[in-house]
Amino acid sequence: MPYHYNTPEDQREMLDAIGAASIDELFAPIPDALQLKRPLNLPPALSEMELDQHLRQLTALNDHAGTKVCFLGGGSYDHFVPSVCDVIGSRSEFYTSYTPYQAEASQGNLQVMFEYQSLITRLTGLDVANSSLYDGASAAAEAALMALHAGGNRTKVIAPSTLHPEYRQTIATYFENIDAELVTLDCPAGVLDADALAAAIDDRTAAVILQQPNFFGCIEDADRVAAVAKGAGALLVAVFDPISLGLLKRPGDYGANIAVAEGHTLGTPMSYGGPYLGIMACDNSLVRRMPGRIVGETTDRRGKKCYVLTMQTREQHIRRDKATSNVCTNQALFAVRASVYLAQAGPQGLRETANLCLQKTRYLAEQLCQHDRFSQAFDAPTFKEVVIRDAENNVAGLLRDALDAGYLAGLPLGRWYPELSDCFLVAVTEKRTKADIDALVKSLTAKSARQPAHV
Amino acid sequence: MRNTRDTQLLFDLSKPGRRAARLPACDVPETAIEDLLPASAVAAAPPALPEVPEPQIIRHYLNLSTLNMSVDTHFYPLGSCTMKYNPKRNERAAAMPGFADLHPLQPAETIQGMLHVLYEMQQYLSEISGLPACSLQPAAGAQGEYAALLVAAAYFRDIGQAAQRRKVLAPDNAHGTNPASAVMAGFNTITVKTRSNGGVDMEDFYKKLDDNIAVFMITNPNTVGIFEPNMREIADAVHAKGGLVYLDGANMNAILGVTRPGDFGADMQHYNPHKTFSGPHGGGGPGAGPICVTEVLAKYLPSPMVVKEEESGVRDQESAGTSSLGRDLTPDSRHLTPKYRLDYNRPHSIGRVRSFFGNVGVLLRAYCYIRTHGPDGLRRVSENAVLNANYLLSKVKHILPVPQGDRCMHEFVASGSKLKAERGVAAMDLAKRLLDFGYHAPTVYFPLTVPEAIMVEPTETESKETLDAFAETLFRITGEDPELLHEAPHTTAISRPDEVQAARNPMLCCRVD
Amino acid sequence: MKPEDLHYAKTHEWVSVAEVAGQKIATVGISAFAVEALTDLVFIELPKVGAQVEAEQPFCEVESVKAVSDVYAPVTGEVIEVNKTLPDKLEILGSDPYNEGWIAKIRITDESNLANLLDFTAYEKQCAEEGH
Repeated sequence: MPYHYNTPEDQREMLDAIGAASIDELFAPIPDALQLKRPLNLPPALSEMELDQHLRQLTALNDHAGTKVCFLGGGSYDHFVPSVCDVIGSRSEFYTSYTPYQAEASQGNLQVMFEYQSLITRLTGLDVANSSLYDGASAAAEAALMALHAGGNRTKVIAPSTLHPEYRQTIATYFENIDAELVTLDCPAGVLDADALAAAIDDRTAAVILQQPNFFGCIEDADRVAAVAKGAGALLVAVFDPISLGLLKRPGDYGANIAVAEGHTLGTPMSYGGPYLGIMACDNSLVRRMPGRIVGETTDRRGKKCYVLTMQTREQHIRRDKATSNVCTNQALFAVRASVYLAQAGPQGLRETANLCLQKTRYLAEQLCQHDRFSQAFDAPTFKEVVIRDAENNVAGLLRDALDAGYLAGLPLGRWYPELSDCFLVAVTEKRTKADIDALVKSLTAKSARQPAHV
Repeated sequence: MRNTRDTQLLFDLSKPGRRAARLPACDVPETAIEDLLPASAVAAAPPALPEVPEPQIIRHYLNLSTLNMSVDTHFYPLGSCTMKYNPKRNERAAAMPGFADLHPLQPAETIQGMLHVLYEMQQYLSEISGLPACSLQPAAGAQGEYAALLVAAAYFRDIGQAAQRRKVLAPDNAHGTNPASAVMAGFNTITVKTRSNGGVDMEDFYKKLDDNIAVFMITNPNTVGIFEPNMREIADAVHAKGGLVYLDGANMNAILGVTRPGDFGADMQHYNPHKTFSGPHGGGGPGAGPICVTEVLAKYLPSPMVVKEEESGVRDQESAGTSSLGRDLTPDSRHLTPKYRLDYNRPHSIGRVRSFFGNVGVLLRAYCYIRTHGPDGLRRVSENAVLNANYLLSKVKHILPVPQGDRCMHEFVASGSKLKAERGVAAMDLAKRLLDFGYHAPTVYFPLTVPEAIMVEPTETESKETLDAFAETLFRITGEDPELLHEAPHTTAISRPDEVQAARNPMLCCRVD
Repeated sequence: MKPEDLHYAKTHEWVSVAEVAGQKIATVGISAFAVEALTDLVFIELPKVGAQVEAEQPFCEVESVKAVSDVYAPVTGEVIEVNKTLPDKLEILGSDPYNEGWIAKIRITDESNLANLLDFTAYEKQCAEEGH
């Protein structure tokens, strides 16, 4: 075994010291009838070289953002990952350490988490941030639970259909067995109509969840939505795109009480969807209801400034069945990477990145919609994603042809929105060049080599 | 030698005008931002992030990293956490572009290699647990517990017993996540007492077991590192009342290939691949929390799951042999029906508990670990984990009492209560003093059922020499001047932090100047 | 108030009952013994004014760094006032638990539990036993 020290002689000496005749004897507390009397049915062991070859064979079966030009979005994006994120993220002292319960031996992790929390408060314009949750969707569900707890008798949470469908599904799952109701408002215009919200909201509404920019890439009228929520005594939960905050107003600026985000875009590759980084921030009044670990500043016995996990009485290992959440792990390693990303970007880098996304998305939409076959499904301004309608209603065939031509061209929307089955969602990050976009447009507008799909 | 200048707060190292990132010029015709975005949505200025050049970033974070203990640098016998070695081949695998650069919503025909790994993982985890169905979706052990409890709730709803079955029973030495997950899933939690050896108090168990039980949650081996003596009886009794048994798989490292939860009566379990299957802990995460369940419960598992198309026509990669380039050298066969696909059409499913497929990066590392060990190797893992723990127990019991007795599985819990009574030295003092000698502290004060608990889990990736040295150090420390211990640690970057001040007057981010 | 003049619940809350305009008002806090045992309190979640509380049921929470403890209502009634200065000055629970450190005033609606309360001597005896 490549990772074990014990030689047969070691084992003998250790068994003698224990006073056991064999290793099997150590398993004697497990009743014989419960022991597995055969080898596990698993493939035989591979050497490192064989494993490497095996994995290379498997990865050769995958198209990825390095072999096909990626225009996919919908909550995961092909943003650039700077080398410093990899270097710091592969530092053993960060990635092979445990949760920093022993503060004296974990000041590195603790200070980085404190800095991460500080960066997130500056990014969101809110008072406090935790040291991360699993991902954007579960962070949104946790935010909804926070709002319900804070809202007393209020049991309703409103989310427009412009909130990521998988986020809505996650919240619905979290609500399934508790006294809570998720109300979804249809958004035919691709953005939430504040009047429709005003009609649906009532004194039982604990929160409104608004994604900005929304799932379709559209800019919502966050100020008005916030005013309606506030007017009804409900909290506003904002689901934001961290990169967009290089240009857009921060959640705290438009009155969000809780802000959550998918943070993988800050220095962590797409990795087929996880592990990712759930970002959460809130205003001061909600901090004791916040799930997850929180790091605070204090002093040591010699008066030296230092950092420590704090407000732990909220958490499951102390409060057990009365905890704010069952969350135990955070995504510390990706919080490290996000901190490094934000540090290397700085305010100007974040702004320039956001602007590149904005400009290139606009350019793609314009180029594509010069052709009669394509139009933008919604009038609202967009940030780095846009919904394109195919007049020929052959999204599947179109995307397959684009794939053959070398493009992961977009996400078909029919799976989540039957009324948009003639539409697809295209995302353009700062990594896409004009040449990429021009070639994609050329490919999408070329006469199809293939017959329309028989669907 | 310590560099304290570059470990100042990042914000204190910032200077306007400095920067690391340089973006390419915009290569498409640019439109003024105010013409593209509504004025009401645009910020006056970007967020007040620090402004630092690249060498400053590297020096800051690298110097901070040296203030941590880690598995790669120190013995880390943290009970209940399975701090084993994190193999480097796993890291390389997860970083391969063919895995790392996959978008989660790519069409199935473009990710057959990825789906192959995930499908095989579903199979492997089912085989290891003895439970036939597997969901890889949950993001962490606690989310696995939660998802499994939702599965149980869905099952009881389906058979018309949702209103009746409101109770989740868990022993008093269970992880806090158990009762917290049960409440989130809509159940009431009832605590069952345990005896001094850590086993379930059967009298109390029977007193609390009735027709209203939904789930009994048990950690086995339990948190004091013994195999539950009455496991089969407990499972049979729960089943006889119509309830389900949930296994908290935190301690699977003790029983790989030795016994299987499905064989000892569990209906559901989660894994902690970041413990058992060597995923790095990352300073607190990410982890993953895949769950396995019985056939009856399979249809309720989260969606999607990876399924394998049975039709032939696609060459089986495993049996075809590998070119040494690790590449498929035959013509592209991807336009055939995909061999693997994601199944979303599962009407009984509880839905999803997070976005996308799961913590694939963690699962990939676990896949590498399982493939590296094979069936015999996995059993060797548990054998050496249990051998190392028993060996260390045989040494420590001469220094501190171990109430559970002379044997353990993968970990044991010593008690510092005698030391505290006789010399005024608390478990925390020992833990802190061990740091001075270059050992990470064991888990202290958990489980709550053992006074002055000191929970030690050496794992299989440590040597006899390390265990000997650790035991010698512990012995030496117990004889030291109590005053020295109360003030420990003495050699770390900081002394003990004032946690009362931190909690009374929370300072959770650095103030904006 | 002097500790000798107060009554105590077995769960370590103190009570002082006064007649105000024909109504019995209980002032409630936690004993010095309890504050000492709870060590370094960091947070208190006060009950809400207007809340109906029941004797021997939790009505307030105090937290130390790594523990949460319920405070039990020693009497049945309605919370009519809470000590709003307490959350920001928790140290007075330790320095002056029986005066400045009061937690809430409860208008008693059911006097039946008053008979279950201990006098100072009996409570001291209980603490002495628990201390071992």
